[in-house]
Amino acid sequence: MSFFWLLITIFCIAWYFTMTFYVGVRGFFDIKEMLLALKSNDASNTKEE
Amino acid sequence: MLSHFSFLDAGIVGVYLLLTIIAGLAVRKYVGKVEHYLVAGREMNLYLGIASLAATEFGIVTCMYTAQNGYKMGFAGATPGILQTIAMLVVGITGFCIKPLRDAGVMTIPELFEKRFGSTVRWLSGVVIVLGGLLNMGVFLRTGGEFLLLTAGFNPDAFAQSHQLEIMMSVLLIIVAVYTVLGGMLSVLVTDFLQFIVMSLGMLVVTVLILGKIGWTPLVEAVQKHHGSAGFNPFLMERGWEFVLFNLCLQFAVVLTWQAVIQRVLSAKSTKTGRQIYAHTSFFFTARFLIPGLWGIAALATLTPEQVGGNTLYAMPKFLSMFLPSGLMGILIAGMLAADMSTDSAYMLTWGGVIYNDILAPFRKKREWSEKKGVLMNRFIVAMIGLFLLFYGLWYPLKGNLWDYLGVTGTIYLSSMSVLLIACCYWKDANNWGAMGSIILGALFPIGFLVLQQLPATAEWAQEIGPYKSGISSYIVSGLAMIIGSLLKKHLVLNKQNP
Repeated sequence: MSFFWLLITIFCIAWYFTMTFYVGVRGFFDIKEMLLALKSNDASNTKEE
Repeated sequence: MLSHFSFLDAGIVGVYLLLTIIAGLAVRKYVGKVEHYLVAGREMNLYLGIASLAATEFGIVTCMYTAQNGYKMGFAGATPGILQTIAMLVVGITGFCIKPLRDAGVMTIPELFEKRFGSTVRWLSGVVIVLGGLLNMGVFLRTGGEFLLLTAGFNPDAFAQSHQLEIMMSVLLIIVAVYTVLGGMLSVLVTDFLQFIVMSLGMLVVTVLILGKIGWTPLVEAVQKHHGSAGFNPFLMERGWEFVLFNLCLQFAVVLTWQAVIQRVLSAKSTKTGRQIYAHTSFFFTARFLIPGLWGIAALATLTPEQVGGNTLYAMPKFLSMFLPSGLMGILIAGMLAADMSTDSAYMLTWGGVIYNDILAPFRKKREWSEKKGVLMNRFIVAMIGLFLLFYGLWYPLKGNLWDYLGVTGTIYLSSMSVLLIACCYWKDANNWGAMGSIILGALFPIGFLVLQQLPATAEWAQEIGPYKSGISSYIVSGLAMIIGSLLKKHLVLNKQNP
């Protein structure tokens, strides 16, 4: 049974390491996109008023 | 106690805190509507969603109870994490319940219930969600403070007398409250992203160091020596079947209805993005239990029972305070502070959102509040939750396993809300009689268990019943109440009206 936990631990560390870097890069662009979308929504709402 | 916390570590922590505050406050100018404040204007994309969900669901409290599980149960203590991964993956891939929920365009789960079960059920759901959620979150601050002080090398008796813990908790909460009150979900998302990176780096570095310095074999041997085969296989533990069954119910209910988790689906750009966030984050929940679990096992392998003392919750931080070198200590503490702050901010906003959206809904019926008043009210509620946490966190005496306490308090609403959500989405005969019965009976068992546990006359009896049986009963009774109540109304009332 300890072999099962060894496999899970190795996979876990490798997956988490990759995920941290990938999400770290792509997440930054998501924030930029989200704030731009909110800004443009706000601008179009002000125009309508 | 020997600790390697130095000025370098303090500097790392200081820089991190400063960056978080700046990032959290910088986005407050984008908050113009209640929808921006509670669900970030539904503009959250996949990777930000993954970072936010992972950061929210990993706090110091998580690290403490999963490490305690590792210390007390060995590798088998990570079973709830594997069950949550399965639940998250199944729900993410199939869209079970979360698809109709996100498609409905609501901001909270009770809002969806109103469409099906009426306004009373919405209000009552809001009350049990907030009750269970705040009781659950009540232990976060104290546990977080204990971890930070123990890791930095302070003596538990000394900090109990000098109120260092209370002062540190208050400062931390004020920092979190300031950016959460002002920026709402937008501040939570941006700081969550930063906190995800810092927290993950801290966790990975510490784990690799433990495996490199102590090695895998001594960890396995320690588990075998202290727990035998039960340390690897949860079914061989005492009350093993109860433990697995309770956690299976709990994890599915968490994935479906834990408001802090669901808020990520509701803030997502689309239903598809919400489902992808679930599927892509699913394995994180195994890591969430296994990585600190390994730290707890490392404490089991290296510390004597005298070094650990009477409280197994302190084993892991005591181990880290002696194990980590200077510099790494700062990275770990910054990482854990990051984890704690992201959880506190997201949870304060989550329960605040339910209070505003559902419990205060009757007050907005006569005259709709302006967006400005809505945002102001939300900010006030979040500040009040912060105050509540400060006082509740200081006086509640935690008894037994931390994970069990969190499971039991969460069940106050998870049992009934998961039943209501499934019935609301997929059972056409479900109605408000069943919903009311489910909410009341679902909350009765865990609250009753908590009361029995605290009273000296019944504490022993509560221990005999155990948290797992009480929790499983809550899910079963809640489901039965929904079925019986709904069928009863159908036969007694609806059939009378249409003979």
